[in-house]
Amino acid sequence: MVNIDKLRKTVRETVAREDIKYVVGYEKGTYGFQVSPCFAFTPEDADKFIFSPLCVNNLVVYPMLEEKLPLPKGEKEDTRKIGIIVKGCDSKAAVQIIQERGMKREHVVLIGVPCTGVIDPRKIRAKFPHQMKNVEVKEEEKFVFTIDGTTHKVPKEELMFDKCKHCENPTPVLYDVLVGDEIESTKKEDYETVKAFEKKPLREKWDHWRKQFDRCIRCYACRNVCPMCYCKKCMVDQLSPQWVRRSVNLSENTVWNIMRAYHLAGRCIGCGECERACPMGIPLTDLNKKIQRDVKEMFNYSPGLNVQEKALLVAFNPQDPEEFIL
Amino acid sequence: MLAEYQVFGPVHDDGVTLFRQIKDPSELDLQFSNSSMPPKALLLRQTETLFKFRLGRTVKIDRVNLPDDRTVIFGIRPCDARSLTILDQVFKGEYEDPYYLAKRKNTVLVGLSCTRPEVNCFCTSLNDGPASAENMDVLFTDIGEKYYVEVKSDKGKHLIAGMKGLLTSAKEENEKKKKEVERKAVASITRSMNIEGLVNTLDNMFENPFWQTIAMKCLGCGVCTYLCPTCHCFDIQDETTVTKGARVCVWDSCMYPEYTSQASGYNPRPGRMNRVRNRVYHKFNYFPKNLDVTACVGCGRCIDNCPVNVDIVDVVTRAQEVKV
Repeated sequence: MVNIDKLRKTVRETVAREDIKYVVGYEKGTYGFQVSPCFAFTPEDADKFIFSPLCVNNLVVYPMLEEKLPLPKGEKEDTRKIGIIVKGCDSKAAVQIIQERGMKREHVVLIGVPCTGVIDPRKIRAKFPHQMKNVEVKEEEKFVFTIDGTTHKVPKEELMFDKCKHCENPTPVLYDVLVGDEIESTKKEDYETVKAFEKKPLREKWDHWRKQFDRCIRCYACRNVCPMCYCKKCMVDQLSPQWVRRSVNLSENTVWNIMRAYHLAGRCIGCGECERACPMGIPLTDLNKKIQRDVKEMFNYSPGLNVQEKALLVAFNPQDPEEFIL
Repeated sequence: MLAEYQVFGPVHDDGVTLFRQIKDPSELDLQFSNSSMPPKALLLRQTETLFKFRLGRTVKIDRVNLPDDRTVIFGIRPCDARSLTILDQVFKGEYEDPYYLAKRKNTVLVGLSCTRPEVNCFCTSLNDGPASAENMDVLFTDIGEKYYVEVKSDKGKHLIAGMKGLLTSAKEENEKKKKEVERKAVASITRSMNIEGLVNTLDNMFENPFWQTIAMKCLGCGVCTYLCPTCHCFDIQDETTVTKGARVCVWDSCMYPEYTSQASGYNPRPGRMNRVRNRVYHKFNYFPKNLDVTACVGCGRCIDNCPVNVDIVDVVTRAQEVKV
């Protein structure tokens, strides 16, 4: 459990620094179990910051969304740093982007928060529907919250994101300040879901994904919410040549979804934001996880763990497997 | 109904509810709150082939027949029915869109009142209601053991004529019961948006830094526009292979930078702020000015599905409070 006063104090101190543009964190959302990203430009803004098991967003996306618009004459670019509240998984995104040189280490100040797992909004909404008033969730042995005067204590396993059940990094792997104490890692990613799916007949696997991709509406929420999707011009947006057609059908949707997953090969750190953002409920983390496991087995590489390490696909190693070369 | 019409209805599939063509009533999920995708997608399809062509020494054009299947959208909610009335104004008028209008003409809206509105429903703020029959051909309201049926148009009368055996004349007590159900549903809607004077308010705050603060957390994805029952922007593209091709009309979103990107490379809406602001203005300022109606029906889909809690009720409420 993160001490909120301590968190706000850290944010206040950080945002007060002259070399900081703003700090991005979480505040209460506008309804039910919703939490919203929020920005502190002044020390006073820090008072609205919270951290709870409802804080699902990976905020590392925000420095990547910074726009470099033409500036009015005489105005200089604001190159000050951005402060970000990061959980374990979020910090891995930052590490990976720094590893790829998508962002400079000195451009961000990472305020780490230890986290033992966040709540899947879909699960909590299904269990407690029609919740309009904002609910605060506390973390004890169980998730604890009060709705209309009744206190609920729900076992964490029941509401937690599936990705959190196998999280190996409850403490951020990279941070400038840690709010709270380090948590020892006790969970292990076993890729059981991937293994189980792999055993199915090819036909069944293909039918499963055809059905999923068929309902993709190409809103690109999966791309825009992903901190790792920061290409200046995404391949699907290019018009000349147009690699992927704008028609929304199974064929083009499949191209998009497989391309997205492969472009994250050796890069996806598994925060699960793509799947959370998908309005059609496509289980995108299953795809990402499959590739993550292959990369781990073939190259003994896990993304987002060490800033000093070279990104997988920019480095050549004579020991790399090459069965696919005929 | 199934014998005479192609029927689309709410079907629950793997976590989402969508309007799909059904062959058997058992496929319907009538416990749904609302569909993930608005039923506008049945009329204004995400991808519509306008015509096909073959390339050779000359180009041969193959027309695409406009669909003439008689269709029923069963279980459409009052907010979504209202959105179609709004969309009609876009696609009728000086430049008609035959692809939308042909389907619209052949479609009967058989609605279902909301007895349990969702948390982000706010149709009552926009001159609509969870049991309003206004934009329907037929409206069913669950009044306990029976459905209270309101028939609002000739299309509706025709459809109902084929179901005579199932219906009995409504009694006063049934009507009372419907009113009671409606009252309860209205009372359970807790969110509200004040659109009074909004056109004017927005007129005076176009350059306000408020829009920058709203856009700060927006990711620029297309969730809010694609799931909106009144958003209707599209792009037209030629999709070809070496010998043949098709001109297609596909949904586009004003949240994407390419939407306003011009051939010269110039983009009049270069930042997310410009795009977020445009979305709000289009719905709450330009639309009321041009067509005398707000282009929002209060279905709450954009709020439910925004990954970063950009909440249109909150945006409008705060815009109304901005001091200019």
